Amino acid sequence: MKEQIYRWAGPSLWVLGLGVPFALSANWISILALFAIYAVVALSQDIVLGRAGMFDMGHAVYFGVGAYTTAILNVTYGWPIFWTMIPAIIAAALVGGILAAPLVKLRGDYLLVATIGVSQIFHLAMVNNTAGVTGGPDGIFGVGVPSIFGHQLISQGNEYLVDWGLLGIVLLLMKNLEHSRLGRVFRYLKEDELAATTLGVNARYYKILAFALGAGIAGAAGTLFASQLAVVSPGAFVFTESVTLFAIVLVGGQASIPGVLLGTVLMFVVPQVFRELAQYRYFAFGIGMIVVMVVRPQGIWPRRRRMG
Amino acid sequence: MSQEMSHTGPLLKLDNVGISFGGLRAVDQLDFAVEKGHIVGLIGPNGAGKTTVFNMITGVYKPTDGAILWKDRDIGALPPYKVAQCGILRTFQTIRLFSGMTVLENVLAGQHMQTRQAWWASLLSTPGQRREERDLRERCMAILDRLNLADVAHEPATSLPYGVQRRVELARTLAASPELLILDEPAAGLNDQESAELNTQIREIRDSGVTILLVEHDMNVVMNVTDRIVVINFGRKIAEGEPLSVRNDPQVIEAYLGSDEDEDVA
Repeated sequence: MKEQIYRWAGPSLWVLGLGVPFALSANWISILALFAIYAVVALSQDIVLGRAGMFDMGHAVYFGVGAYTTAILNVTYGWPIFWTMIPAIIAAALVGGILAAPLVKLRGDYLLVATIGVSQIFHLAMVNNTAGVTGGPDGIFGVGVPSIFGHQLISQGNEYLVDWGLLGIVLLLMKNLEHSRLGRVFRYLKEDELAATTLGVNARYYKILAFALGAGIAGAAGTLFASQLAVVSPGAFVFTESVTLFAIVLVGGQASIPGVLLGTVLMFVVPQVFRELAQYRYFAFGIGMIVVMVVRPQGIWPRRRRMG
Repeated sequence: MSQEMSHTGPLLKLDNVGISFGGLRAVDQLDFAVEKGHIVGLIGPNGAGKTTVFNMITGVYKPTDGAILWKDRDIGALPPYKVAQCGILRTFQTIRLFSGMTVLENVLAGQHMQTRQAWWASLLSTPGQRREERDLRERCMAILDRLNLADVAHEPATSLPYGVQRRVELARTLAASPELLILDEPAAGLNDQESAELNTQIREIRDSGVTILLVEHDMNVVMNVTDRIVVINFGRKIAEGEPLSVRNDPQVIEAYLGSDEDEDVA
């Protein structure tokens, strides 16, 4: 019985979410649209950090690569938003994989410091418009909205449904990952790399794959983020964003889908709702994070021990 | 396959193998061979270099000299995962199970090399992938059954008693279908009954066609199950032969019990 509830609670909540545009105010729709996007990024961070166990403190970079790819292709070259998602995923996955190739040899804290470096370089490159196509500190304005069969999804509700749809797809992929060879290999590497390699696991290959996969999914979220806000600027992909994503996974619960979603609610949705109290926000979160890590190091909603 | 057929001579051969860590010569001029179908014991006093030898064979350390030949092919420079792909699988002196995962999930790790699903099939949960997952579970449950572990299949592996954890690690290694099974002190921490069971299990594994190389301190195990023993001390081989002849070798007795001179010094 309990098992049944657990199994159907997630899908039911997602279906319920489809009704949001018809039931809630515009303010709530935009908050939940951003929740869907950030939840996808947090889930992709969880692939690298929570499942494969690599301290990746630069995840906002891949999110940014996706967003910038979409903004450039849409604004400068007039590509439709949905079509830009494919190059956005590929570009982010490539950046993730290529950066990871030399870095995955590093262990724990060393990898963490290296990814912080990556994060800083990305931010600087965007601010200084190093590539000449990213618009410098102001970023790129006027990113369009997605369209389906020639109909532009102009209304906020429609855009929300697109975001919610991506979240649904990513949740499905994460669920599949749990019952698959790939998901297990990531956990073997996290728990004991030496034991895994002596059983024939090519650790380097799978670690790079984890980075590329996490980055690619973050890139897809970047596409919708660019379209949702209509503007892409360096400020959205600063180092503190990476830190927040990192904290979501740790505070919510590593390798736990409900945990990561709960973490996203706490770190992104709650601050939006209590905007008036913005100045106390990081104070409250700072204390909250300390308390959770001390009292419940496995996260607020940890992964369940269960295997079918 | 043709390579397998044409291969004669020992399965594994160490040829003048040596390794140095900085100024320390941990293993020096080591030669020995493991014949197919044999159970070979590698023994020696603490710190003699036994685990270092295992680490070199399995690719964890790279030997600084000599060659490690697997079916006449030098595998000394291969990374551990490629050594495993050759069919050389090992257990560890200190049990290395994946904590936070069930016994079944641990044993599934052994089947990694037998699993075919591509990473995208894992993500998309294709029908072929689901079929493979079901088959994998069945095969692993059969292995667990054989080692009397079926009851604990869904228990978290590292919460089990020590002796059971040893069996889980063995099950995981067997799940990888080894041709050569390397056991690093499989009887360590076992009680008398468990160690007697281990003797039987080791023989059964050999009878199923697996060649075995083991390090063990428990002389009861070593003398009972091995066909051949290699004795090393200070990284060098001091004796080799059948269990009985090795047992009576004066150099071996000296290495284990110390010579008269040592006693004088003490």
